[in-house]
Parts: sequence; structure tokens; C-alpha cells
Amino acid sequence: MADLTDAELRKELLALGYRPGPITATTRKVYVKKLGCLRAEWSPSAERDGGLGSRAGSGPLLDGVGGLSSTPYWGSSAGRSAGLGSKALPSEEGGGLKSRNHWGSSGGAAGGLSPRASRGKEDLASSVGKEAERDGGSRAGGLIRRFPWRAASDGGCGVTPRSALLRSAPRQQPEGKGKGLEYCLSQFLCLASVVLLLIFVSILAVKMVGSGWLDRREDGFNLLPVDCDQSSDDFCQAKQKDMTMNVLHELYNYLSVQAGNFECGNPENLKSKCIWVSEAQDHVMNVTGSSPQKFEAALHWILNSNKDLGIWLKGRDLSQSVSSVKDVFCLESAHPQMGLGCRFRRAMVTAITNLFLFFWSLITLWGILIFLRYRWRKMEEEEQAMYEMVKKIIAVVQDHYREWERNLERYPYVGIFHVRDSLIPPQSRKRMKRVWERAVDFLASNESRIQTESHRVAGEDMLVWRWTQPSYLSDSEH
Amino acid sequence: GTGDVLGRKLEEKGFDKAYVVLGQFLVLRKDEELFREWLKETCGANAKQSRDCSGCLREWCDAFL
Repeated sequence: MADLTDAELRKELLALGYRPGPITATTRKVYVKKLGCLRAEWSPSAERDGGLGSRAGSGPLLDGVGGLSSTPYWGSSAGRSAGLGSKALPSEEGGGLKSRNHWGSSGGAAGGLSPRASRGKEDLASSVGKEAERDGGSRAGGLIRRFPWRAASDGGCGVTPRSALLRSAPRQQPEGKGKGLEYCLSQFLCLASVVLLLIFVSILAVKMVGSGWLDRREDGFNLLPVDCDQSSDDFCQAKQKDMTMNVLHELYNYLSVQAGNFECGNPENLKSKCIWVSEAQDHVMNVTGSSPQKFEAALHWILNSNKDLGIWLKGRDLSQSVSSVKDVFCLESAHPQMGLGCRFRRAMVTAITNLFLFFWSLITLWGILIFLRYRWRKMEEEEQAMYEMVKKIIAVVQDHYREWERNLERYPYVGIFHVRDSLIPPQSRKRMKRVWERAVDFLASNESRIQTESHRVAGEDMLVWRWTQPSYLSDSEH
Repeated sequence: GTGDVLGRKLEEKGFDKAYVVLGQFLVLRKDEELFREWLKETCGANAKQSRDCSGCLREWCDAFL
């Protein structure tokens, strides 16, 4: 290194993108080393990814205990990628690789050595970098992508403490059990709602179209009548049957229209769906122009037939079934004809009443699901708050102990209430009461470095916390 | 985080008070990496000691400067 004057050293460092402080007697050596390091980094044609790979790769190797101290800084400078990376020197312990020798001898001829060492580092990079990448996972990968910026800005020759990064990255794993159950429940409810809707629509459709086409009716009602009263040969028998059928058809229509009117608002103010025999007879006779005998023959035919004709014969006593034509009192249609609007209305009402129970139970389950979600979220928040409080308490108790070690405090223990009052401002004490108590219970049962005891502090007996671990091993982050 | 042995070594070099070491840290523009390097060179501090020292100075500077 020929640049041995302060000014030139300064210029070199600036040229490589690093801003040095004043170059004094004490800082000179360090800056010379820095220059060597920067040159080593820039000489392999500024292959940033390679440099990164080497840095990332040698991280886990060199950085046993080293980079972990940077974790406190992650929290404060998480946003600044300037805080990331290049904080641990390769010259730390646990390494013992050739980079160490590199640093040791760089004082004199860093320039000569640097290409060699950098090549060595490149070899490391290719083999180790891959493993490092695999180990790192997505989080570290994302963070490493930010390093090019950092590399450009300060040309840091530090290594990336990957393990520290992983540990400090926030754990966003959702609670598996709760979320799984919630997901299942909501899926089930969605499915049930859809099924209910489908059933509703189908009921509606069926009611609207009318159930006529579902049952089997007698065909052949509409046939031409021929006057065939007197003779009784086969042809006439058939013709008489046709006439009977015709009468029946008319009767059926009449009855169903009446029944439909009765069901749908009853404009004629009928008393019931059951039409009196005389009325039906009159109407049919008017329409078809046939004689009462034919009507009676039709009724006879209905009685003797065992098919479903859609006409019910009712006697005076409504519950009793009729056996002869004389007993028939009124006639009722089994298939009332109703208008479209009326049918739709009835269908809606039927569907809703049928599904009423189902509908309400579904509503209830939805309500329960929403409530449960709310509760789970609240519980999670409480847990988080509790853990935050526990961390703060541990920090306070530990600091107190350290100060006692330095003879700044009188007792090695600290009162529980004192800690509470120093951590929680007076206006929040009532609100945080539950969180505090949970934290205290957690510490009593789960924290082995803090002992809960009863001591006399300033003349008063109170419960205290005592840190029970000797120094140098006490940080849980290591 | 320095302790007695290293403290003596620093005193020999002229860094007899904590604020002088702080001064050195500030002269190095609060670059922890360089400071640790320097500390190692000057008094032979190991990784943990230098880390503690630089961390402490850094926090102090963040709080008061």
C-alpha cells in the first residue's frame, strides 16, 4: 500500500464510497485495514451477489457468538436496512479461517493479499452460499435482497449474521388450532347457506309450476261427444264412456277453478272448497248440455274408479267416505287452479315455513361464529400484551440486579409493586390489572431466573423478585 | 464490559477515562465495526467484550447525542 499519507488514505476511502472520520494517530491503523477490505471487495469486478454470497455464506461459519449482539439493534432499526448486515467483523472469534490471516497481514501488503483472499472467499461463497440460502428461507432471502443497497453505500466488509436475523424476525405464525377450527366452521356455514338457498328455490319452483304434472291424471278427457243414449253396443259404450269423461273433465275444471278462487282471496265468498252437488250439477249441465243421468253416471264412475281423478266426493259427514251416489253431498277438487301471483305467494309462504327452523338455526350458528372469532382475537391480543409485560419485567429485574452488583442499589431484589408502578403509568393501572396479574403468574411458574420471595423492604414486608443468575450468562437472547 | 485487565491496558495507551474512549468512538464516526477493530488492536479485547463496549457506547450516543 503506497498511500501512506493521511490525505491520500482519506481520498482512497472516499473514492471507494466510504466516509472516514479524522485520520489520527489512533485511527490510522483501522482505516488502513478498512481500505484493504474495501479494495478486496471491489476488486473482483464488483460482483455484488458473489460478495454477498460470500458474506452471507461465511456468516454462519465465522459468526458464532458475534453477530448476535446486533439483535438489540434490529428492534430499533428494523426499518433501516442500514442497520442490517455488515455489523460483525470477520476478525471475530469462532472463525479461524484464512480470512483471519488475511486481516492479520493486511496491515502491510493488503493489496497483494486481497485478491488471493477474495478468491478464497469466492470459493467459500459458491459452496456455502447455497447452503446459506437454503437455510435462510424466505425471510432471510428477502432481507439479503436489500443488501446490494447497503453494499454500495458503505462497502461493508462485515458478514450477515443470518441466525440473528432469523431469530429477530417477527414470528407471524398464526395459532394453528384455533384458525383451523374457525376456517372449517365458516366453510361449513357457507355450504349450509348455499344448500338452504337451493332448497328454497326448488320448493318455490315446484309450488309454482303446480303439482299437476307430478301426479298421473286421467287422459282423454277431451273427446267429441256423440249422441248415443239408446244403444248399447261396443261403439256406443265407448262413446258413452267418452261423454262421461267429458262431463268429468268439465266437472274437474269447474271444481278446480272454484277451489282456486277460494284459496286465492275468495272473490265469490265461497264458504269452503267443497261445492254442493246441485251447484256442480247445474254448472256442468249448462256447459256440456248433458242430462242429469250423465252426471250421475259420471259420479258413479268416479266412485267405482280407483285411480286418482283429482275430485273428492264428500258426504254429509265429512270424515266418512261415501259409498253410493246418493250419499254425495259436495264435491271438492284436489288440484285447485290458481293464478301465477297467487301461486307464487303461496309457494313463498310454504317454503319459508318449512325452512323456518333451519333458517333460524343457521342464523344462530353464524352469530356464534362471529362471536367466537371476536373472542379468539381478543384472547390473542391479551396473550401478546402479557408477553410484552413479562419481557419488560425481566429487563427491569435484571437491570436492578446489575445495578446492585455495581453497588448502586441496596438490595438484590425489587418489590413487585415497585416494578408494576414503574412500568405502568397510574392512569393505566386499572386497565392493565389483568395483564399484570397474568404476567406475575407466568413469571412465578415459568421463569427460572427470577425468584418470588417475601422480604422486608424499607421496613415493610412485601413480595419481591430476585434475579438468581450470575452475570455473563444472563441474556436470554444469546 | 471491559473489566480490570483491559482497562489497565487502555490506561497505558492514554485512554484513562471513559469519555476518552467515547471520544475515540466518536472520532471513528460511531462506526461500531471500526471501533471494535480498534479496541481489539489497542487492548486485545475479545469479541464479547468489544461488542459490549461498542454496544454500550452506541446506546449512550443514541440516548444523549
